[in-house]
Amino acid sequence: MAKNFKSEGDLVTKQPNSCLSKSVGIFSLSTGNMGKGRREEGSDLNGAYKGEEGHDGEGLVKLRASTLKTGSRVSFADCDNDGNMIKTCSELDLNIDPMFAHSALGRSLSYSAIERTDRQLEDPEVIFNRNMVFSHFHKSYDTYSLGSLDSRLSTSPIQEEVFESHEHRSNGPSEHDIDTCENPDDLDLSHDVNDTVDDNTVDCASQNSGHLKSRPPLSNGKSKHRPSSGKQTSWLLRLFESKMFDMSIAISYLFNSKEPGVQTYLANKMFSFMDSDVDFYLPQLLNMYIHMHDVAEAVHPYLVHRCRSSVEFSVKCVWLLSAFSASVLKPTWRTSQGLKLRNLILNEELSHSHKHQHQLQKHHPSVATAPGLVEPSCETTQSLGTMPQSLGTTLSPSSKKTHIRSRSDATGVFVKAISSQSNLTHHNYSCGDLASGRAFDSGCLCHKSTEAMKNDLTGKLVPCQCGSPRLSPQIEFVKAMMSIGSRLAQLPTKELRGSRLMAELAMLNLNLPARVWLPTVQFDHHVVRIPHTQSVVLNSKEKAPYLIYVEVLQCDNTLTSQVPNKILENTLRYTRSEEDLVTYYHHGNTSPRDFSVYGNLNDYDDADCWSQEDDDIIQIQMPTLRYKSSDQISIESSTSGDSKDPVYIAAGDIRRRLSENMSAPKGKFERDPEDPSAAAMKEPWEEKVRRIREASPYGHLPNWKLMSVIVKCGDDLRQELMVYQVLKQLQMFWNAEHVPLWIRPYNIVVTSNNSGMIEPVLNAVSLHQIKKHSKLTLLQYFEHEFGPQNSEEFLTAQKNFVQSCAGYCLVCYLMQVKDRHNGNILLDSEGHIIHIDFGFILSTSPGKNLGFENSAFKLTHEFAEVMGGEGSDMFEYFKILILQGLVASRKHMDKIIPLVEIMQTGSQLQCFSKGVSTIRALKDRFHLNLTEEQLQLLVDNLVESSLNSLTTKLYDGFQYFTNGIL
Amino acid sequence: MSQETPVAGGDRKGNAVLLRKGSAHKMALKEKIVQIYEAFFQGEDMSAGNANFWDELFLLKVNTLYIETECDKLTGDGLVQVKDNFNMMFERCVEVIKQDNSVRTVNAVHTLCALVRGIYRKSLKDNAFDAINLLIGFDNAESVFQSLVESFNRILSGDFPVALKQLLLKFMLVLVSVTENISQNTLLEYVLINSVYESLIAVLGSPVLRQALGVDAILLLTLLVQYRKHESANPYIVKLSILDDELALTGYAQVVSIALSDFNSDYKARGTEPQSGWFSTLANMVGNMFVGEEKEMAAVKANDSVLLALYEAIHLNRNFITALTHAHTPSIATTPPSSPATDIPPTGDSSGHSLDVQTSPEPDHLPTNLLVTFLEYTSIVIQDTKDETRYNNARLCLIIMTCIAEDQYANSMMHDINMNFRVPLHRLPMRHRKVKFEASPPSRPLACAVLDLMVEFIMSHLMKTMPVELYTRCLGICHRILCYQKKCRVRLQYPWKSLWTALINLLKFILSHENHLLKKSNVFHMCSKIVNIFNLFITYGDTFLPNPNSYDELYYEIIRMHQVFDNVYSM
Repeated sequence: MAKNFKSEGDLVTKQPNSCLSKSVGIFSLSTGNMGKGRREEGSDLNGAYKGEEGHDGEGLVKLRASTLKTGSRVSFADCDNDGNMIKTCSELDLNIDPMFAHSALGRSLSYSAIERTDRQLEDPEVIFNRNMVFSHFHKSYDTYSLGSLDSRLSTSPIQEEVFESHEHRSNGPSEHDIDTCENPDDLDLSHDVNDTVDDNTVDCASQNSGHLKSRPPLSNGKSKHRPSSGKQTSWLLRLFESKMFDMSIAISYLFNSKEPGVQTYLANKMFSFMDSDVDFYLPQLLNMYIHMHDVAEAVHPYLVHRCRSSVEFSVKCVWLLSAFSASVLKPTWRTSQGLKLRNLILNEELSHSHKHQHQLQKHHPSVATAPGLVEPSCETTQSLGTMPQSLGTTLSPSSKKTHIRSRSDATGVFVKAISSQSNLTHHNYSCGDLASGRAFDSGCLCHKSTEAMKNDLTGKLVPCQCGSPRLSPQIEFVKAMMSIGSRLAQLPTKELRGSRLMAELAMLNLNLPARVWLPTVQFDHHVVRIPHTQSVVLNSKEKAPYLIYVEVLQCDNTLTSQVPNKILENTLRYTRSEEDLVTYYHHGNTSPRDFSVYGNLNDYDDADCWSQEDDDIIQIQMPTLRYKSSDQISIESSTSGDSKDPVYIAAGDIRRRLSENMSAPKGKFERDPEDPSAAAMKEPWEEKVRRIREASPYGHLPNWKLMSVIVKCGDDLRQELMVYQVLKQLQMFWNAEHVPLWIRPYNIVVTSNNSGMIEPVLNAVSLHQIKKHSKLTLLQYFEHEFGPQNSEEFLTAQKNFVQSCAGYCLVCYLMQVKDRHNGNILLDSEGHIIHIDFGFILSTSPGKNLGFENSAFKLTHEFAEVMGGEGSDMFEYFKILILQGLVASRKHMDKIIPLVEIMQTGSQLQCFSKGVSTIRALKDRFHLNLTEEQLQLLVDNLVESSLNSLTTKLYDGFQYFTNGIL
Repeated sequence: MSQETPVAGGDRKGNAVLLRKGSAHKMALKEKIVQIYEAFFQGEDMSAGNANFWDELFLLKVNTLYIETECDKLTGDGLVQVKDNFNMMFERCVEVIKQDNSVRTVNAVHTLCALVRGIYRKSLKDNAFDAINLLIGFDNAESVFQSLVESFNRILSGDFPVALKQLLLKFMLVLVSVTENISQNTLLEYVLINSVYESLIAVLGSPVLRQALGVDAILLLTLLVQYRKHESANPYIVKLSILDDELALTGYAQVVSIALSDFNSDYKARGTEPQSGWFSTLANMVGNMFVGEEKEMAAVKANDSVLLALYEAIHLNRNFITALTHAHTPSIATTPPSSPATDIPPTGDSSGHSLDVQTSPEPDHLPTNLLVTFLEYTSIVIQDTKDETRYNNARLCLIIMTCIAEDQYANSMMHDINMNFRVPLHRLPMRHRKVKFEASPPSRPLACAVLDLMVEFIMSHLMKTMPVELYTRCLGICHRILCYQKKCRVRLQYPWKSLWTALINLLKFILSHENHLLKKSNVFHMCSKIVNIFNLFITYGDTFLPNPNSYDELYYEIIRMHQVFDNVYSM
């Protein structure tokens, strides 16, 4: 396929080094409109290019306008010298009205990448003469442009290292010798493109070629018009514009390409991707941002834009940036951009309110007159805010004043006192002070105004306008949890830690609900309560990771929805004490004798203690426990007191019921003070949710949800994060290829280089805990949990076990996951096996890399026993699964490798201790050069050797003796 | 409560008689203020002709003792004569407090204290006149008090020195406690109209103010709640019962908890005095004969107001139960309030999180909660109930326990197996057992500690002067806890045998002293309560006993002691 392209000649050419001075290739695209769901009728004219037309040579000015609606489609329009639209094409039928295009300019945020041509500097004037306004002319950088920094990166050591890695990447002898090549970048590009096309387009090769021939007029025109000097780019461009171009390709090209044009293009292209797609690669993106100056320059506008629009994204960026730049000991000019960006975000310089000044300036009248316009105008300001160079200057002089006025407007609004809580100190800023009860309150009053409440009820967004710090509540929230962890670590015993944890969480609870969220959770929500008595400290000697359950209320938008009101814990008897008293209080003074909270003090008989009313309330509270109504205490005590109608009870019955109750199978482990987490983890999740929901004052709300999170302090989770990404990718590929391998990637949030949060795997306990509490072998435990070996439940569980085991064996092999003792392997309630703790991967292993575990993966005879023993059908199925998984993963290797490779850049992580060879070894484990038969042999060997590996047994023994892990 | 406030006590020094050097007459020097006071008590209008008189007066140090003694000296008629002066002085004081001059404010408050105390002491002796009229005058009493309470609220919740706030609180306490029976203190009507409640709650809610002013604040609140609580709708009762500010409630609990744990640690410190050699032991014994009891008494007495505050909170406010079981550590490590986001250090703080390690918790400071402290306190208080004060103290403790045992939420917390606490329970040494105070008792759910406490009480008060009422309450608490367990099917791992033994012993004791006890109280009621508890075990044992063996054990105990039950039946 690639050869084919090359032979066509006009598609692939080398781009000379001088292309920057001459050229042309213009890609422009707009981010479209960032708002979701807003219809925009016209197109945004967002980029302009003027240059010599390569083929026709007619000096046409090509103006290509493109519109992307939430990143979905691109349309083009060509313009002639006078700026008239001469050709309008779009993939979807999009009619560009030239007039509208002009007028719509102010409404969208757009970025354009214009290669630096000779003429470019003249362009602004030309374009201005045409009364056309363009969002960005030179580079789309924001106020905080990195443009001032040198781009001397091409000589940096990192760059050279990257080259080196490229050298290794090319399998087999490369025809191009890098040293002799004039332009390594281009060589690299073309080579990569070939590779990529080769790998990715195998399936749709025919489709692709057909596509080539029957290209729509536009595309044809495009390639035709492309100047000869830019053919290289156009070749790349075709890949970039192809259907299969996605974030993973973008990220690897960002990493590999040294050409500013390509990088800028890719950075702009990111605007068109789904946010979630880009977010997946955020660690890679930010790592490049920190360590690769040219990439930083390119992606800076994108990051700034996202930070502006999303607080959540900002927070994520802050955490990742501080985590990944931690290894940069002395920030130099080359490596300081990461920290700079972090501080930029932290200082709220990228906040909404900075833009907001523009909004108020321009759109305040419309807001006042037509409330319905609030939303569009808000979005408009996003575009305004991001082009301060062009339009912002006209607005800036008086903007400061407006801003402050808006703030006073907001605060001046009558604040409704929701309850009798003391609002005396409400205006004190106490963010971060847990004792204040408002540690996670940014002081924003926008949502407390009556107007905001009305908007909230009618479903309108209520953006914060008062300029209070956006990030600090969330950052303080996570900081509070981390500092609990660090304090716990200093306590000697588990019991102390446990009770301390509860006390600390109770303290934290005082500050909830607040506009904070759990970063491990995907949907929008507010944290309302932490049921502190349910929290447990996990097993660890030095560190004190802990598991907490968090009650959240789902909402439409974390940042704009109303934060739920506080409901006190003790909701029982609410009706009696409070509401009645209020009415008494208001009408009460008429007959003072009627009202007395106090009973008759002389009467110390308890007859009135248990009124019928209490029982009713208790019954409502505990609907799941079945009582007969005659069980009520008042009746019962009276029957036993005066035996008018004696009820005879056989003691034997009661004893029998008691012993039945005892022997009833319980899906739980007994509580063990030495290992509190075992019982907490074993309890079925649904049961736990039900139990906590009943006890929670917020439990009655329909949007109530229970979440759990493991907070780790003192552990570096960056490796875990990388493994999570790899697992996610593998899972996706296996699903796409219909390979029934099962893995369970669990979400990781890195908050700094030594702290983070982990999404716990629900309904799963470690093999160690199973062995310790049940005292059974794995097979016996399966029988105990799922029934006899021929029952359907057992067989399903066995199938799950095999599929998950195969998945994780493959993962362990590919990523060289070590430290596989039974404490790190979980078994869930469906029989799936789940590996956790990826602290030792790739080039690192426990015990100073001595290689305790030299088997490919952990596969014990016990595992094989569950599968039915060696040679059984399920065992064979297991091996086939591994093979299938390996083949499927191999196909997508080029999407997995960059994930790891990019993270290696500038990394001090243990897993990259062997440098580039780590990546090479990883690549080798995909065995690209083997045929399927050879692969099968390989898998058989791997399984065989792992099963009979001495070191696995040794390591388990070692763990038993040192850490008591069974 | 106590009439001796530090305000009055602290000024005694100022009264030291100054002598002129070398003076043969030994004539005492008169302070300028005393001269003014003299004129004041003569009924002269001192401010006449001197515009700055009041400004200057309140810059002078107050001599409270002089005012009080002068008041005492005055006859009824004399008092009426200087009524105008009293009224003027009071009014001026209130006006001065309104202004923001701390020296004058302090002096004015002192003057007010002295006036109030002086006149009320007089009016207690002969009730012939009305104190309010003398002090303020009926006509403008309402407006003066309104302005006084306004300044009180303003100062308490504003940015003023803590000492000033404390002084005002003390003054309010003086005002509230001038009469023996609080319900007769008609001054409080004005405090009911103009509420100080909100500022008191604000004090409790603020972690800084709470430390210095917490005890006074809850004391004042408790006293105000007492005012005619059975007769009228006291707004303080209503407000306290609907209080739902979690911070204030937690603050309230913390203040009580600190006061009680101070008592506990005092008691412990006394119990574990270093004893070296037989002589010191002997000396201690002798010493304890005379001093020890008294000292303990004082300690108990110092706390009964706090206990009352605890009772009011638990009884009135359902939300307080939450705060009761809210775990808090003695030294809560609070992160200092960080300034707004712009101040977040932009320098290369590589870790990103400055985890404050400096606030390292002391390992021996186990997180505790008010309930744990209260249980320990109760275990000390119920040791001895001979004295009436102590009897009342123990009774109040048991009433509070009853309230707690009645509350579902408190019960659910007490039975939560995840919430284990070490509750140090104190036991009195007796003839058949040595004192054993476990330094580190087992960590168990709180319900176990409550039951232990009840068992201990039952076993240790089988005496001729049997506190029947306390026993009834005690049995009620056990009954309530069992009912909760039965309802919610909680299987508490508790050695139930100790409870059964205690109950059977109690029955045995009642039977053997039937004739003696019957004269004083209704022992039948108590017996039926005991039997009820046994019935609960027998009929519903399957819902809350930990295992079948314990049910067997129950039958074994009953059959073994069947004689007792037979006798009760024939009682």
